[in-house]
Amino acid sequence: MAAQAGLDRHRVSAIIVTHDGQVWLPKTVAALTSQTRAIDHLVAVDTDSHDTSRQLLKSARIPTISAARDCGFGQAISIGVASLSKPRTEVIEWIWLIHDDCAPAPTALEFLLQAIDDRPQVAMVGPKLLGWHDQTHLLEVGISIAGNGARWTGLETLEYDQGQRDGVHDVLSVSTAGALIRRDIFEEIGGFDKNLSLFRDDVDFGWRARVAGHTVIAATSAVVYHAQAAATERRSIDVDGAFLHRPLLLDRRNAAYVLLANSSWWVIPWLCIQLLGSAMARSIGYLLAKLPGYAGDELLAVTTLFIKPGVIIKARKDRKANRYVSSRVVAAYIPPRWSQFRLFSAGFFESIRLRLFSDSSSQSSVLESVEDDDLLVPATGPPRFFMLRKPEVIGFLLLAVLTLIASRNRLGSLIGGALPASPSGARDLWRSYFESWHQVGMGSSSASPLWIALLAILASLLFGKVPLLLTLIFLTAPLAMMWSALTLLRKLTRNAWISVPASFIYAISPVAIAAVNSGRLATVITLILAPLIPILINNWRRIHLHSWRQIFTGVLLVALLYSFTLVAFLICLGLVAFALVGDYQELSSDRPVFLDRLYKRLVLLVAPFILTAPYSFEALLIPSRFLSEPGLSIPGGVAHVVLFGNPGGEGSLPWWLISPLLIILVLALFSTSKAKEIALYGTGFLSVALLLSALSIATHGDAGRARVWTGTFLVGATLAAISAGVVILDRLRAVLVSSNFHYRHILAALLLFITALYSILCLGWSVTAGATSPVQSSRSTVMPAFLSIERDTKTLVLRNVGSRSAKSIQYYISRGQDISLGEPDVAPRQTKEIVLAAQALIDGSGISSSKTFADYGIKYVFVKLPFDRNIIRTIDGLGGFTRVSATSTGVVWRVAGVTGRLIFVSNDGVRELLDSGEVGARTTVTGPGKVLLTESFDRSWQIFADGYRLDREKSEQGLPLFIATQSGEISLIHDGTIRRAWLSFEIITWTLVLVLTAPAGRRKREISEKELA
Amino acid sequence: MKRALTAIIALGLCFFLATLLTVTTKGLGYSESYPAVVCPPTLSGLSSQISLSSRKTQYQRLQAASTKTLPFKALRFPIAKDVVVVSATGVTPVAWQSRAGSWAGGTLCSGPASSQWFVGASSDVTTRGGLIVINSGLSEATVDVQTYSENGKQPQISINLKAKSYSLLKLDTLATGDKSLTVQVLARSGRVNAFMIDERGAGLRSLGGDFVNPITTASTTLVIPAIPNQPAQKGQKTQSSHTLRILTPSEAGSNFTLEIISSDGSFVPLGFGSRNISAGIVSEFSISPKISSKSFAVRIQSDEPIVAAVTSTVSVNKRKDFVWSTPTPPLVPMAMAITGLAPVIVFTSDSIAVKVEMTFLNGKRVTTTIKGSDIATWRVPDAVRSFEILKTSANTFAGALVASENGYGYLPITPGSLLTRVEVPRANIRVLNP
Repeated sequence: MAAQAGLDRHRVSAIIVTHDGQVWLPKTVAALTSQTRAIDHLVAVDTDSHDTSRQLLKSARIPTISAARDCGFGQAISIGVASLSKPRTEVIEWIWLIHDDCAPAPTALEFLLQAIDDRPQVAMVGPKLLGWHDQTHLLEVGISIAGNGARWTGLETLEYDQGQRDGVHDVLSVSTAGALIRRDIFEEIGGFDKNLSLFRDDVDFGWRARVAGHTVIAATSAVVYHAQAAATERRSIDVDGAFLHRPLLLDRRNAAYVLLANSSWWVIPWLCIQLLGSAMARSIGYLLAKLPGYAGDELLAVTTLFIKPGVIIKARKDRKANRYVSSRVVAAYIPPRWSQFRLFSAGFFESIRLRLFSDSSSQSSVLESVEDDDLLVPATGPPRFFMLRKPEVIGFLLLAVLTLIASRNRLGSLIGGALPASPSGARDLWRSYFESWHQVGMGSSSASPLWIALLAILASLLFGKVPLLLTLIFLTAPLAMMWSALTLLRKLTRNAWISVPASFIYAISPVAIAAVNSGRLATVITLILAPLIPILINNWRRIHLHSWRQIFTGVLLVALLYSFTLVAFLICLGLVAFALVGDYQELSSDRPVFLDRLYKRLVLLVAPFILTAPYSFEALLIPSRFLSEPGLSIPGGVAHVVLFGNPGGEGSLPWWLISPLLIILVLALFSTSKAKEIALYGTGFLSVALLLSALSIATHGDAGRARVWTGTFLVGATLAAISAGVVILDRLRAVLVSSNFHYRHILAALLLFITALYSILCLGWSVTAGATSPVQSSRSTVMPAFLSIERDTKTLVLRNVGSRSAKSIQYYISRGQDISLGEPDVAPRQTKEIVLAAQALIDGSGISSSKTFADYGIKYVFVKLPFDRNIIRTIDGLGGFTRVSATSTGVVWRVAGVTGRLIFVSNDGVRELLDSGEVGARTTVTGPGKVLLTESFDRSWQIFADGYRLDREKSEQGLPLFIATQSGEISLIHDGTIRRAWLSFEIITWTLVLVLTAPAGRRKREISEKELA
Repeated sequence: MKRALTAIIALGLCFFLATLLTVTTKGLGYSESYPAVVCPPTLSGLSSQISLSSRKTQYQRLQAASTKTLPFKALRFPIAKDVVVVSATGVTPVAWQSRAGSWAGGTLCSGPASSQWFVGASSDVTTRGGLIVINSGLSEATVDVQTYSENGKQPQISINLKAKSYSLLKLDTLATGDKSLTVQVLARSGRVNAFMIDERGAGLRSLGGDFVNPITTASTTLVIPAIPNQPAQKGQKTQSSHTLRILTPSEAGSNFTLEIISSDGSFVPLGFGSRNISAGIVSEFSISPKISSKSFAVRIQSDEPIVAAVTSTVSVNKRKDFVWSTPTPPLVPMAMAITGLAPVIVFTSDSIAVKVEMTFLNGKRVTTTIKGSDIATWRVPDAVRSFEILKTSANTFAGALVASENGYGYLPITPGSLLTRVEVPRANIRVLNP
């Protein structure tokens, strides 16, 4: 070995630094001693290892120098270098840095020396670093540092080494593991920075070498296997300055230090912003991954450096002495700003691609192929229309075509049934969600339901086009229902010829058709999401076996349902109560499991309720919300229709089109399989739906009572019936095939016949009569354009509303325009005085109706034609109403007297109309008096004059009245502090649940070495 | 099996309960109400009293700024000056006005009307009467007054009335110098009522006076059920004279037939078998039936819609007075307050069967049935404050004749305000959805 070295003009001294490295050290020592190019001198520096590292070195007869335990890597190297003999002039002295967790390949040193043989300018050369366990895993081929401090290797995650990076590369730096450094240059530029006891000392050294005019290269022919024990938290970090002994903290701090100490002065401000911003972004990422320790490390690392700028200033001063070229020479080695994002996004999309289109051929092994098979058969492609023979394709295609035909009148802006007109843009939805005061009727401070925000998010993805979003939702809903049902049913049967038709029937079930035809947004969403819940919580009885992450994913799903309809809360309440009774009976002696189940069930019930606050909390004061759906209040069907799974009401299937739901449920109850249990749930849903169908409630701006829509409950019954049917059929097929003719054959045939008959009739109805259901695309409006000009004006609108057979006179207060999505959900109840005045207006007895309307700021009365001519004449003759227009759309009267939104009544009783905006206003009063706001009374209404808040009272009519003591400018506001507080609460709770739902990140020490390679 | 049966039984029970206990959706509600009625103001020199059925009946003075209503606290309420709006709730109040020692007359307090015909009065030198047009609404009213006379259709007058106000149009301004007036009051907008007082005099001598009660619409068949007839008493030279005033407002003239119905028999007087009148011209015909009964009725049938009334001269306390008897619509169940009036009600029909309930001042109620054929007369006892027609035979007409110290009056037995039954509107935001 010595003889060979003598022939060389290089002299290599290897310095191995050990620190609790007994796990890797034997292999490291063995690798060093088996080098094809022998090491000229080998010395070890042990930093007071607590394990057997020192004994191992001793037994290997490696001279060892002891150092303090908190001695950093650079300092240990300096000790090792100091122990070497004086440099010889006839040879080039090199020091080879060896970690105790890295093992060079036998040819590593030889190739390293080969690489520098004809490159005299090289000060540092590094090998290709491969994984310790997986020796095909490419770890590093030179390193750099990104602008945000990230260690940059330019490699993909778990990149496989197949020689694609081979060659000699000019790099910013190389890892100190296996790096060969010219001794004279090392000493000339002062070795490693003492402030970088561990991590990033290599990048810093390379940077300094570069600005000192030297070159750093990576020679991939030389290979070193590296365990990265410190970075992967395989050993404790005890070096001096390693605050809290946390490797990530130290790494981030050192990264920032390197950047700030070496970069040009003029990029320092930008670097500070970048470091801080990326630290915060990564902290959020770590928080989402439930790694708060790492999140803290990120922020603490930057903070500890920023609060001690003196360290940086000194470091920059030291570097200035050895800088011979501009810092900008390293610019070529710093990765572009977007390269990290590009690399991340490429990996992300690749993972999605693999998830969606998994390459099945890659899973098959060549060993599985039978070479003798069909060698003589000519190679052919898949037969024509092969895809069309798959039941899934047939099912979805058929449904798509039928849906398109049935929806031929719904290709546009949808309106009708329970669905109000869509606002034109997502911005309107956002405003409706965020604002604390809604200009509906006499005004409302009710909280907007969460579904408005969800729709706004989805609409934002469609460039804010809400009508397009709703059209897409209702157009694709049957397909989405079929997909979600199919996902569930595939878990009950492997036979696609059962699961696909069953999911098809789910998509054309009575409740699905009625929901789409009558614009029941909540039921449509429930139909899509409901099958996913049993998939997620597949062990409802033994819920304690589910992880908390699964529970919180369930919470998210249930919260989505709650946000659309609080009927889901009632269903959850019933299911939880029912299950808890069972748990109590089953687990009376096993308290821990009972409590575990109790907590998980309660979280599933209550957490979504909190997530949908404050709308859900308000429902405790307005219980009818627990039975209502978004949109207009449209009555559901009667019990004998509901019994067959048809929710009834406008747009539903006719009564004679009876679905097989009830028969399947009853048959399944007598089954001996799992179908019986499913049918019990289905029967329960159906029973509750029947009971509720007897109730009528007044809600969503409708003073009259409308029969409860039981669609949400029937979703449960329908899903249960179809699931039970699938389970029965899956087992029955084998029984029928293997048995003689039996009553089961007749029953099965009868059931299939009824189901097929229902399907055919239902589809026939859907594409004919069903196509003219209430939900249609329309652009008509109720309010005439000239009444929409005055945005702060209230108009009492009278109209004949109802089905063709039962129309009735109804009225509401308009704010100049038609209602739009979300407004019925926050519509207030009508004031009693207005109710009486409107009634008197119609029956002709209302000689004071106009005065009442004027008191409440109603400026116009609009009768939409067609309307009873006699009533129009009655209003004409009643007094207090001056006809201002009569067109083909309707008749408009102006209410007598001074009225509007904001009225000033002077102390001598003179009424004056003040300028008013839609919600807030800035105007002037001419003297002391009272300012009457004709909006519903709310504590958040405030008027400021000269910076002082005016006293607020309740007028005789229950409207807000403010006492103005002097003339001057006044500002009317509706204080939205409470709404903002609730919005903050929502953001916090949703973020918290999203974090709990997200897959938990693992600390590096928790990742297996095999995975780390 | 047990669980399955339990589930099925539970399902059946729920279905049974749901069917049984279905709280049906409240159907269309209807509101029944009587529009508030308006009683005429008391003009200068007149005295006025309103007969009421209950002391709790609410009213408000038209000119008062407040719309607050107050109870009358009396069954016969003197009106000093103002128009009063009465929430009569189905019992029609009667206003009785008189000029001491000169004349008396009564009219019904009535609800707003879009069209009223007043067949009566004069525009000649003897007239002292006026047309009172009232706007009881809260906005301005526009009213057209169209006058007809023996000289044909007069130029139309349009008047604007402020909210809660009335206007008095002197009759001599409507068709100056003309003797026979017929006036149509058309409300173009507002809550309008009109009353007509026909008062006449020659110099300082009063010739009598009366309210001319309105007719709502022109019709081809008119029945004037109660015309007072004072047969010549011993020592008297003359009996009552009766004059028919008739107008066909259509574009073409008409032929009419007049039939007198009295307890002495029903007959068509000579010359009234088929009499022609010109369109738009008020015609007068004297009727002098030789009958002994104190009241009689007339039925007029025409081939074109007509309006008509009969004026009768009467003698009260040896003073002359006249009474305008106007047509009434067929009798319907209704109630009328007559405190202090004690009228004689005349029913006329082919077959009369009217069930009436009287409420006395002490609250006592007595039911009686008036039966007869052609014509029947019923004197209401003095202590009755109101009567209610509970049931009536078809095509029965009724009018009341009231005699007082100051004069003689006629009241049509018809509701002052009709029960309006309209659907109760419902507040529903759905109206704002296209």
